[in-house]
Amino acid sequence: MPNIELRNVTKTFDEGKVLAVDDISLQISDGDYVFLLGPSGCGKTTTLRIIAGLEEPTKGEVLIDGKNVKGIPPEDRDMGFIFQNFEIFQNMTVWENVTFGLEMRGFEESYIIKKAEEALSIVDLLKYSEEFPSIFGNPGLQKLGIARAIATGAKILIMDEPLGSLDPKVSKVFRHELRNLIKDLGLTAIHVTHNQEEALAIADKIIVMRAGKILQMGSPYNLYEKPESIFTANFLGETNFLQGFILKLLEDNKMVVWIRLGGPKITCGNNDGFNLDDNVIIAFRYEDVYLFPRNYPFEKSQYDWKDMEFFEAKLESSRFIGATKRFYLKLDSGDSFVSIKPGYYEENYSVGEYLKIAIHRKDIHIFNAPDDLEKELSLM
Amino acid sequence: MKEEYELESKNEPNLPLTLKVDRFFSKPIYRKALDTITILFFVLVIIGPIINIFSTIFLNIPSIYHDVFNDELIGNLKWLNIINSLGISFSIAAIAVGIDILIAFPMAIILTRYNFRGKKFLDALVDLPMAVPTSALGFSVLLFWNLFGINPGMELIILGHIVFTFPYIVRNLKIVLEKADVLYEDAARTLGASGITVFRTITLPLMKEGLIAGSILAFTRSLGETGATLILSGLVETAPILIVGFRRQLQLPSASLLAGILISISLCLLFSIKFLSRRGSFSISKIYPKFERLLSRKTLRHIRDLLIIIVLLFIILIPSFYIITQIARGNLISELFLAKDYKWVYLYTSFMSSIQIGSLAVLINLVFGIPFAFIITKRKWGKFITFLDTILDIPIAIPSAALGFAIFLFWGPAGIGLFQPGFFMILFVHITFTFPYMVRPIIGVLESSDKGVEEAARTLGASNLTVFRKITFPSIKQGIIAGGIMVFTRSLGETGATIVVMGNIRTIPVLIVDWVEANYLASAIFASTIIIIFSAALIFALRTVSKRRV
Repeated sequence: MPNIELRNVTKTFDEGKVLAVDDISLQISDGDYVFLLGPSGCGKTTTLRIIAGLEEPTKGEVLIDGKNVKGIPPEDRDMGFIFQNFEIFQNMTVWENVTFGLEMRGFEESYIIKKAEEALSIVDLLKYSEEFPSIFGNPGLQKLGIARAIATGAKILIMDEPLGSLDPKVSKVFRHELRNLIKDLGLTAIHVTHNQEEALAIADKIIVMRAGKILQMGSPYNLYEKPESIFTANFLGETNFLQGFILKLLEDNKMVVWIRLGGPKITCGNNDGFNLDDNVIIAFRYEDVYLFPRNYPFEKSQYDWKDMEFFEAKLESSRFIGATKRFYLKLDSGDSFVSIKPGYYEENYSVGEYLKIAIHRKDIHIFNAPDDLEKELSLM
Repeated sequence: MKEEYELESKNEPNLPLTLKVDRFFSKPIYRKALDTITILFFVLVIIGPIINIFSTIFLNIPSIYHDVFNDELIGNLKWLNIINSLGISFSIAAIAVGIDILIAFPMAIILTRYNFRGKKFLDALVDLPMAVPTSALGFSVLLFWNLFGINPGMELIILGHIVFTFPYIVRNLKIVLEKADVLYEDAARTLGASGITVFRTITLPLMKEGLIAGSILAFTRSLGETGATLILSGLVETAPILIVGFRRQLQLPSASLLAGILISISLCLLFSIKFLSRRGSFSISKIYPKFERLLSRKTLRHIRDLLIIIVLLFIILIPSFYIITQIARGNLISELFLAKDYKWVYLYTSFMSSIQIGSLAVLINLVFGIPFAFIITKRKWGKFITFLDTILDIPIAIPSAALGFAIFLFWGPAGIGLFQPGFFMILFVHITFTFPYMVRPIIGVLESSDKGVEEAARTLGASNLTVFRKITFPSIKQGIIAGGIMVFTRSLGETGATIVVMGNIRTIPVLIVDWVEANYLASAIFASTIIIIFSAALIFALRTVSKRRV
């Protein structure tokens, strides 16, 4: 069964002037639904096209089932490809679109009919067989694109922003149907997107890319809970970043970080690899910030407060956004951060009020401070 | 680990024959072979003759010097003739293009920014003189202005050249105007700019590229025109006519020198299009709000529009087609059909030669033009592609009489010796100068055609050739047909190069020149009318096929 491996693959364009993919290696095992996730221009689409044979790597090798596929043109790689812009053949009917790949493989007539009917019924388009694709809107076109790609029976499905041209609401429903279909057919699937929410929602495994390199790979849960870089922490989910330095290294492997310009002192983390006075970035998710009235009596509450860090901040403003509420807070040192609560969250704090902020120590991530935080946080 | 990746699901032996053939010939080696043959064709047919003429000049410096500059009897009279003819050609081209620009600006705006009934028809009428053989057009212009007592000479040449160069400028201006977003103009108006101010500060800079490209194209057309000029020139000798004259008198050294000079000038013009249209910009900073607001008033605009329509009618359209009203001249029957020299047979054979040469040129250019367009758009050969793309336009830029002479020298008895002047040499010349007309539209549709669909087909298992047959070809068919019709009309209307290489064969435009020179006016009118109607039908066919007016 198919598994895909990339070994030290590099791809340059324009005679080496543009480095699109920079020495990446990865493995995708049989039956996995893998996402290549990253901002535009990070090399994810190029990586995908290299796997499909639409680009040849400048260096390195691609192995499918352990066999080097160098020089094998896309038509002989037996993969289904789904495009962002559908790339439906407008001069052919729905039926002709779906049978195209089957005809190319020289199957018998009866087998072609059986397979095409199967594929069309999976996406619920069988009744439109004789129509031309111009009758469809974007969702219909992409369904046809999917039917066309899976009809051939290819075991590897490659998708380049398959939901990118659908409007957000449609795409949210569509993505679960897509996942179910892939799992039902037992396909090995690679899906490129810049939409982190989409990746978190349906991936088995996510590969985060940036500037031609792989930053981190793992399950959605792992990536979300244990981001290994400021970029990943920022790109997946919504995260606060505060700058500080290490004030003290404690004996129980923890350390004290002092938020810059006289902010709170926060005890947290695992001090391996950090030194006294190092500049660091503290990161915590919006939803991990708990809010309490200033004088809340923790000692008497049921909260497990011993593993929490407390400090105070002023409420600047709050917004109600349907399912959630957002609280914009400011430290006396001037740094701002955000807390996110369910829409039904009932505490009515008033603007300008000082609140007690609580965060679980396990939810606080510490990174070495980069030279340029803005650049690190930019999505390029 | 370099094992071959084998396919399990693909059942090759069961593939239908066509797909098998496609797969077989999709191997890179065949693609490379086709690329090589195409480039070879391009070099031999297009570049060879031009390089050859320069080397011929270089190798024959002594005889050219002797003939042109230091003849025993006439001294350097021929050189003076050459210089004089170049001066005349340049002045005619400059004046014609200057007048063209004046008319073309408002015309292009009317055709792109206004909406009125009959706009498409007007658009077609404006394009028409481009498709009609210039000798027929020139003859019509001659007959029309004769009514007002204007005789062959400089004025008439200029009037004739305006007629057939004008569409090139309008068309190029129209292309950029259609591309330029009206929203810019709207934005300027909401900011308080009056019509004329908007035109001057917003629209004009956007039109720069089209203006330069159109003007240089019109300029080279005028510079190289032979057919109409022969009819309209009287005693005036333009450079192409001098080449034809030298060739007729078999003064090959003088002809090669003049052809070489004309080709060099045209190449300079061509390369300056390519550079100028990319660089530089008008900088327009001064605004005269009150004055321009006054000029933008509705009444003035109506007067301007009316003027332009009148000019279009009396300078371009009526002179172009006046000839059709003259078809019933009294002595037509006796001259064409009853005279003992069987002119009608001659007319018939010339017509057939024209059609045969045109069709063969289309066919051969199709065979080499499609792969060439693919090379330009798909191969990633970097600067070499830019180079090919630039020199592709050479045959359009250089005067056809000079090109014809270069081909005569290269392939004819004086060079490789493959052809004698006659049918095949005419065909060869026509293949050469129509090649870009075939390739350009195909490049256009290939560039705008959707690359993604082709990739989709490949991921579904279609080989390169299958993708071409099933996906690419249907989407570029229009461009191919447009190119084909363009090649055919060009070939049908060409005079200068044909005269140089024709031997005993006649094509229609040459026949018209011959008959006008021999004063068989009724027959010439008849031949002109036939060819004008024929070309008009073709150009309307072209416009229905391609809405983009390639």
